[in-house]
Amino acid sequence: MVQTPIKSETKLPPSTHEFSGVIHRLEAGGAMLPDTPENLMQIIGLYKAYAVPMDFYWRDLLYIAEREFLNPFPFFKYFLPKEYLELHNHYAGDDADLRIWQKGAATAHPELLAFMEKGETFKMPKLFHHLWHDRINMEFAEACMRAMLWHRGMGGKFDPYLDSDEYKANADRAIKAYFQGNPAMLGLYKLFPDMFLEQVRQLSYYSNLGLFWEVMAPVFFEMSDRYDSGDIKNVPDAMNFLVNGIFAVAGRPIYHHVYIRGEIYEIIPKSKGFMWLYEAALPYVEAVFYRTAPFRGTKSYNAQAKQVPDEQKDFHYGILYADVFPVGTAGIPPTLLMQDMLHFLPPYLVDYYSKHCRGEDDMLIQLGISFQRSMYNVTSAVIQALRQALLYPLDDTNPKHLEANRAFFEAQIDRFKRKEARLRDIQRQEYR
Amino acid sequence: MLSPLFWIPVLGAALVGFWPGGTPARSRSIAIAVASITLLWTFWLLSQFDISNPGMQFTEFIPWIEPLKLNYRLGVDGLSLPLLFINSLLTWLVIYSGSTQLTRPQFYYALILLVNAGVAGAFLSQNLLLFFLFYEIELIPFYLLIAVWGGKKREYAAMKFLLFTAISGFLILGAFLGMAWLSETPTFAYESLTTQKLPLNTQLILLTAIVVGFSIKIPLVPLHTWLPDAYTEASPGVAILLGGVLAKLGTYGLVRFGLALFPDAWATAAPGLAILGAVSAVYGALSAIAQKDIKRMVAYSSIGHMGYILLACAAATPLSLVGAVSQMVAHSLILAILFHLVGVIETKVGTRDLDLLNGLMSPMRGLPLTSGLLVLGGMASAGIPGLVGFIAEYLVLQGSFSAFPIPTLICVICSGLTAVYFVILINRTCFGKLDNNTAYYPKVQWQERTPALILAALILCLGIQPTWLLRWSEPTINAIVASFPAHSYQIASLSQDSETK
Repeated sequence: MVQTPIKSETKLPPSTHEFSGVIHRLEAGGAMLPDTPENLMQIIGLYKAYAVPMDFYWRDLLYIAEREFLNPFPFFKYFLPKEYLELHNHYAGDDADLRIWQKGAATAHPELLAFMEKGETFKMPKLFHHLWHDRINMEFAEACMRAMLWHRGMGGKFDPYLDSDEYKANADRAIKAYFQGNPAMLGLYKLFPDMFLEQVRQLSYYSNLGLFWEVMAPVFFEMSDRYDSGDIKNVPDAMNFLVNGIFAVAGRPIYHHVYIRGEIYEIIPKSKGFMWLYEAALPYVEAVFYRTAPFRGTKSYNAQAKQVPDEQKDFHYGILYADVFPVGTAGIPPTLLMQDMLHFLPPYLVDYYSKHCRGEDDMLIQLGISFQRSMYNVTSAVIQALRQALLYPLDDTNPKHLEANRAFFEAQIDRFKRKEARLRDIQRQEYR
Repeated sequence: MLSPLFWIPVLGAALVGFWPGGTPARSRSIAIAVASITLLWTFWLLSQFDISNPGMQFTEFIPWIEPLKLNYRLGVDGLSLPLLFINSLLTWLVIYSGSTQLTRPQFYYALILLVNAGVAGAFLSQNLLLFFLFYEIELIPFYLLIAVWGGKKREYAAMKFLLFTAISGFLILGAFLGMAWLSETPTFAYESLTTQKLPLNTQLILLTAIVVGFSIKIPLVPLHTWLPDAYTEASPGVAILLGGVLAKLGTYGLVRFGLALFPDAWATAAPGLAILGAVSAVYGALSAIAQKDIKRMVAYSSIGHMGYILLACAAATPLSLVGAVSQMVAHSLILAILFHLVGVIETKVGTRDLDLLNGLMSPMRGLPLTSGLLVLGGMASAGIPGLVGFIAEYLVLQGSFSAFPIPTLICVICSGLTAVYFVILINRTCFGKLDNNTAYYPKVQWQERTPALILAALILCLGIQPTWLLRWSEPTINAIVASFPAHSYQIASLSQDSETK
């Protein structure tokens, strides 16, 4: 197991960066988030609360990508069939392809199944749960997927492949097979081929994100279990567990298969060698944690007043920058995720939130801020993993190597210099 | 039947004040009980009141100090009844919303009840000297309420209030004495006064004293300078009573003792009064726009709205006078909800500064219900249809236009300016982004919400069904107007309208 060494002090002169404290902490093998028991409790509790809906998200994303596919009336795409609910996670359970995490089961989490049965109201037909939003809100997962699709061009080979002739040919085969015997849709496809192709690209991102979260759900479950059993004792422990997880599954293939009338159509075959770390994890972090888009309903942005950057790469509306005070109740994606997580909070977090701010009345906001903290921890893990993959060990004796590491860290932290970033806020425990 | 409206709060004040070991909670409970009885009594009075009778009802007479012609003579008519109701209601709401952390609670609630008694007594008095006594009785409690429980500049504000209102009292007393001594039958009994037989110049002198005296109390520009300090430095509850009750004593006095007793002189002075009303409206609106303190903004808005009442009284058409009474009630309700909500915001957020307030509409960490009600209060004050402010302003403007078109048009513009400053207030306070660093505001309790909800319900109900407000005063107003000299500008009247229909 990789262990990021904790250094007592850096061999370089102190950083003059605005966030020098954070830089030094990263150089010492720590995270952007200060190492306090309260922070640890918050982030682990949130990982657990996030993992349960995530266990639904990845299953449904794969179901939509593989089975619903181009259904022109996908009214029931969030009604997960038993087959996908029982689908074995490739990284959990006794029959896992890669047995890294020991404690979770391969099938859907019991808390998820219990919630799907009754929701937060009472047992009633599925359709009523759906219409009442008394369910897992897949809209959040789809918003993340669309952020990845919309930003595109964030590095890796997966995205350029979606424009390749090979991909178009694979997609064409699948489209024609799916609409076989349906002259109306085939006629439409003839008229507007790009429209259908773009839909398939979106479905490929459904698959991409589903495969990404299939890994992350058991990681988070395992972290929660380890915290409960006392194996994870501090914030760097939590971050290192994530770093190890990232490296362990870095090579997991990212693909897109479609099942049409019992046949598999490989739109993106596993043989292309697209790797989980580079084609799913990093684009996901970039698109969802950093960029996303100004969500409708949270705040009005005036593009003419330059409140929206000209370049997509300069977008900064992700969870690391997010304003957790939603204005209105428009059902915007981050709010929906908070609502999903609220159902699965561990009791110690419920007690903790009850004692602060407005207690139960603003628990959604409190957990939203804990979520922000936990995602800063995940981002720390990604930064450390990238440093480990691309640069030098933290205990390297060569000062030039250490300078290179520092330059890397400083470049990463520069993204949090803008006033919207919450890095400053999460340094304070009273930020709730 | 009328005496309890005065004596219950007086006895209640004594009970609260002398109750042994009175904690804030206990003092508040006793005061609420007393105020509830008074309010129920007012409801009962409303149920017994004969709407079709324009004269005084439930009159009571007890001879008191005959040599001074000071007798205990009470009565109520369509002019005073709505204001009595407002007095009882606002007193109850102010006591209900009283803090449990209050210092010297027994003294505070006793003074509030004394204010209630004094104002009720003034509205009921049918003897000029008795009116003056009640009018002065509430001066000391108000002074103490501002001076003891006010803000940082409370002593300055309280002293200014005391000096101004004392001068007001002298002027009114002088006018009353002049009326009694100069008339053919020296008396202070309201019904027996024969002021209309006095020479016009004498009437004008006496009317001037009345108008200036009550204009200080209302207050109107340029006699208003005590108001921003007093309203702003007073605690929210006291500010509600100052604006909702005390100011109405001034407008009531203008109609009762100015317009009704000196109709000829009033008709002569009316154009000047209309201009004064328009100037007050403009000054109030422009000053409100310039404010950074939301409480001060609401205070200046009050000056503007009082200008409408003066305009309506000056026009003295049946429609405008019904509008004036409606505006008195509407203004009391609207000002009360605004001051209450401003008080809630100040308590929770810790500031009234428009530059610091932001995003309070935020659903979980903000004060969404408070903000929503603030929007409603602002809309009502700006005269948005469907709310009580609209019907009152509409009647005032419609009724006054025929008599004084230019001052009325100026007031119409001021009504638009009201919308401007309330949009500024609401936009900066309620909308925008709640600051993550400061938005750790305490929750608004039900005790703080209830008064605003009651006031909002009344603002909405009376806006949708204005007859519930107008019907009380219409016959009395028609009777007052009937004794008024015929004016060429009186072309609109409610009765004519209803006959046409």
